Amino acid sequence: MHKILVVDDAAFMRLMLKNILSKQGYEIVGEAENGLEAVEKYKALSPDLVTMDITMPVMEGVEAVRLIKQLDPNAKIIMCSAMGQQSMVVQSLQAGARDFIVKPFQEERVLESIRKTLGA
Amino acid sequence: MLNSAIESIKHIFSCPTRVDAPNLFDQTLIQSDVGVLIGIVGDMEGRLVIEGESRIFTKLSENMCGMPLEGEMLHSFVGEMANMIAGNTSTLLSNRGKHIDITPPTVMVGQLQLYGFKRGIRVTVHLEAVGPVNAILLLQG
Repeated sequence: MHKILVVDDAAFMRLMLKNILSKQGYEIVGEAENGLEAVEKYKALSPDLVTMDITMPVMEGVEAVRLIKQLDPNAKIIMCSAMGQQSMVVQSLQAGARDFIVKPFQEERVLESIRKTLGA
Repeated sequence: MLNSAIESIKHIFSCPTRVDAPNLFDQTLIQSDVGVLIGIVGDMEGRLVIEGESRIFTKLSENMCGMPLEGEMLHSFVGEMANMIAGNTSTLLSNRGKHIDITPPTVMVGQLQLYGFKRGIRVTVHLEAVGPVNAILLLQG
């Protein structure tokens, strides 16, 4: 069973993602409310994949991706943000994210991205 | 910017809407029930407030995720909904050559008054079978 860390400052969005992923048999190994917490939980939990919001307090998501990739160059991270402009997608991919999902998202789009990223 | 926010509301809720004429006001915004404030910086500056009755947001949560939310989870939903509106607005503006960044949402619950701006523009968006939601832009200049 693949272990996933869900990072989003909104409890509602973490709940939505947990529901979608748990139904498909993924294990939600942890949750984080900001980028700094995400980095700490990545170190402690070694998840197979991270879903990462961008606009968060304390530390935003793109910076957290950079720090996680420094710790583990093979980290698999999918951005999940309402900020879908090209510059944000480019920054995320340059930081090391594997894919970018724009909110509001369709359940199938999330699952397709996760399957593709875990299979890569 | 407000036009892009209205476009985003229509896109996110995917339901028929009717939009009232904009209403200008000065200096004070009175919130009656639930609102979310998001700061906007960059090529355009100001604050976006999405405001309405909690029963309307509960209906919206039922439409969007299949369950009526209440309490803290409803407040989190309202914050995330406003984040999506502001995020989509920034994407639309970026496609038109204007670049903005947004702050995380601040959710405000209960009756309160907001000060610290010069002008405000309020537009009421009526979401069919749900009810009205106000999109408000607060400007310093």
